Amino acid sequence: MSDFMKTSAAAVAAAEAQGATYADARFNELYTEKYGLHNGALEDASTSEQRGLGLRVLVDGAWGFAAAGGDEPGAAAELAKRAVDAARALATARRTPVELTADKLESGEYRTPVEEDPFALSLADKVDFLVAADAGLQGHESVVARDVNLGLRRERQWFAASGGVEQYQELTRCGAGVSATAAIGGVVERRSYPASFGGNYGAAGFEFVRAMDLPAHGRRVRDEAVELCSAPVCEAGERDLILMGNQLMLQIHESVGHPNELDRVCGHEVDLAGASFATTEKLGKFQYGSDIVNLVADSTAPGGLDTRGWDDDGVKSGRWHVVKDGIFNGYHTSREWGHRIGESESRGTNRAEGWYNPAIIRITNLSLMPGTWTLDDLIADTEDGVLCDTVKMWSIDQRRLNFQFTTEVGHEIKNGKKGRMVRKPTYQGNTPDFWRSCDAICNEDHWQLWGVPNCGKGNPMQVAEMSHGAAPARFRKQTFVV
Amino acid sequence: MSVQEEAGLGSEALLETAAAIVERASGYPGVHEAEARVGLTVNSFSRFADVGPTQSAERARLDVSLRLRMADGSKLTEAGSHGQSLDVEDVDALIERAASLAKVSPALVDPVAMGGPVKVDMQKLTGSADPATLAHDPARKAKAIGDAIARCEAAGVNPAGLYDTTGAAQALFNSAGRAVRSESSRASFALTATVPDAAGLGGAGWGECIRSTAGELEAGLIDAAVGRALLKAAPGVERGAVKPGEFTVVLEPAAVSSLLLFASYYGFGAKEVEEQSSFLCGRIGEKLFPESLVIRDRWNHPMYRTSGFDGEGTPKKSLALLENGALTGPVTDRRFAHKLLGDADASTGHGAPQPSGHGPSAGALAIDAGDQTLEELIGGVEHGLLVSQFHYTNVIDPREMMLTGMTRNGLFLIEDGRLAGPLKNLRFTMSLVQALQNVTGIGSELDISGALFDGEVVAPPVRIESFRFTSATDF
Repeated sequence: MSDFMKTSAAAVAAAEAQGATYADARFNELYTEKYGLHNGALEDASTSEQRGLGLRVLVDGAWGFAAAGGDEPGAAAELAKRAVDAARALATARRTPVELTADKLESGEYRTPVEEDPFALSLADKVDFLVAADAGLQGHESVVARDVNLGLRRERQWFAASGGVEQYQELTRCGAGVSATAAIGGVVERRSYPASFGGNYGAAGFEFVRAMDLPAHGRRVRDEAVELCSAPVCEAGERDLILMGNQLMLQIHESVGHPNELDRVCGHEVDLAGASFATTEKLGKFQYGSDIVNLVADSTAPGGLDTRGWDDDGVKSGRWHVVKDGIFNGYHTSREWGHRIGESESRGTNRAEGWYNPAIIRITNLSLMPGTWTLDDLIADTEDGVLCDTVKMWSIDQRRLNFQFTTEVGHEIKNGKKGRMVRKPTYQGNTPDFWRSCDAICNEDHWQLWGVPNCGKGNPMQVAEMSHGAAPARFRKQTFVV
Repeated sequence: MSVQEEAGLGSEALLETAAAIVERASGYPGVHEAEARVGLTVNSFSRFADVGPTQSAERARLDVSLRLRMADGSKLTEAGSHGQSLDVEDVDALIERAASLAKVSPALVDPVAMGGPVKVDMQKLTGSADPATLAHDPARKAKAIGDAIARCEAAGVNPAGLYDTTGAAQALFNSAGRAVRSESSRASFALTATVPDAAGLGGAGWGECIRSTAGELEAGLIDAAVGRALLKAAPGVERGAVKPGEFTVVLEPAAVSSLLLFASYYGFGAKEVEEQSSFLCGRIGEKLFPESLVIRDRWNHPMYRTSGFDGEGTPKKSLALLENGALTGPVTDRRFAHKLLGDADASTGHGAPQPSGHGPSAGALAIDAGDQTLEELIGGVEHGLLVSQFHYTNVIDPREMMLTGMTRNGLFLIEDGRLAGPLKNLRFTMSLVQALQNVTGIGSELDISGALFDGEVVAPPVRIESFRFTSATDF
């Protein structure tokens, strides 16, 4: 047993000795490298190493949690006292005791499959990677900002829980992207590749970012940013909408992922993040989307940012339909929340940001399953529509119904042909109506996972990561607004 | 003893630690300049809902950051490293990581030297943390939470909220002789009260209070926040609906906050102005706004608990960003003060911790109080809306500060100067620039509040004409 696993196990034992009926402890170590090249200058170059212990206890039917940084073996007993004391104090205001599903937790190890270890690569090679990616973005006087981002993470966690459970996980994640921002005559527009807000991220080694071939896309990104500045604003009105995968992934995240977190559904996140329209009486019968819509949660999906061995309840990763043939089919749950709706096992989606935070239900990798179309055929089949590409802006109400999204770029489709570029395409709708209007999804050749490395939830807010798989899809008669 | 009592804050000790790290780093071959930041955060929170307390934490974290500049002939490079340990081996690793990365980094273009000794009264920047707030424990939180839940049960609504107490200390020391430190405490309580409805269509109300000490909260502010939440939830009152369109609105402080925060994130900084994405572009000095509207960046406002220096250790200046009807210039850090004024020491003190891709930003916005009560603001509206809060506001176009978001937790119809009942929610799509131009009334009572993303704003309620709502919901 490693020293860190001993620390976690000692914390669990100390909590049990002080009266906890259940305890789990996570010694967590996170190493990251972050690089940001802006207009050719390395403005952000830093490494970070964090480690500490978080201990969760169940005492008198209430949770307590305590956390401290560092790796002092003696911290376990002190943390146990703090967590147990907190739980005892809070139990006095508890109306009903916490109960857990009867999942049988197992011990084991899990490591993200990695071909090229990103931390074995020299720092000089990584800087060269950024500089090469920037080369393609250069060369136009109207481009006021060129950005190349690279982010690398390795998280190691030693989890111990009551019953002698010991799980070790080593999760490696990489991501990168380029963007160009042009300004002409007071109009400022940005284009990004492969995705906005830092690029795309996956659970993999450096091979993931090499495969993006950023240098080959710089010129197109730069030229599209410039072209956008003189493109007309997308007109208001009702038209068909084709979403590319790097926008559809956010639609999945906001209008399917978050509303299906069971803690949110039951009102426990309403004070900041909000609630959900997907209430429990709808389970198994609500028409969430058209019958071609299948949305699958999968914490075993290769390359997914939330692909792991177990969640922070110690529950094994799994795969299930959130929406099956258009019908609402299942929630994201934890051991506590699965019990509240009478399920015998958790779906395994309880996760914390590092050692410092207690776990809450988080969206796992959640994907729209591919259909049968090619993108060319989909465009040819569309009489009057807009093809929208790359996230720019998103907003959704606190029950996840009324949404409004803007993408970086749109292209009009008239009589089956892709036409002129339009800027600020903004569409507004209602979640079930939107998914019910889906009448065509492209095939698996167009399908890929898109990473969300910065999903915020909880209060105080925590950040988690997950991926969403999507191929381009069509949604009939959507409302575009200006 | 709470985790906060035990950890203490001790910014003087943090400053000594930062100085020791800089001294050690300065001995590393090739190091030209070094800057260390050390921060300690101690936090206790309890979340709650209908079942009582649902989640809690008693926790402390130490964060250590190092910024190194390396010299190779005339070439200067820079990198940073972060850690959470003061063990000698870990500090050496921190130095080694930053130095290794700086060595392979491209040369800095037009580098600006790190700032030297601060020439203002440090006592004014240092602040203090309230010992009673640091000692606030789960048992006291349980009492307040239990009382709030009982009031919600009596009113027939479901509660969900947070009681949080935090102490923070930070220190910065660099090889140019800059040495600054600060301490603060913060306490907040928030409650959302939701009218039960199987389909989730019930109304909701919200109340929050944020101050420097838990004592202030427990001297009546929590009771008042619970009262506001229950009032706005309006259990038993059917909510009406209005069609989207333009309305005169009275925005309460939380709603004002969620709009102005985007000016804080994207608008008032020199980098956004240089790259032409700021709403300041083409508007600085133009008399476009009502003279009664004054927006400042004011870190030392009594409602703020922010540090008196920025991420580079520069003392923050309190600035008027909109006064006499016009926007003034952007806020700066050392790099942009050098770029715009030729003098890095003229920085307004709005820089991010370096190295960073983020430009300077105005993180302590405050609108000057006006002279009208909330009732008087409402009284001046013939047909309009009272907005308690916006949800998930986001920016469509930063140059025009075009924003969209949803109302939540209390939208009310105003008819003939009086509240005429709760309404179902609406989405707005509106330029902040236009909204500020259309301000016709400013309230006299300030409050501090945040929104979904980071940051807080001190604001009064304001009345705005022709505020544009673009769609509606059925709840």
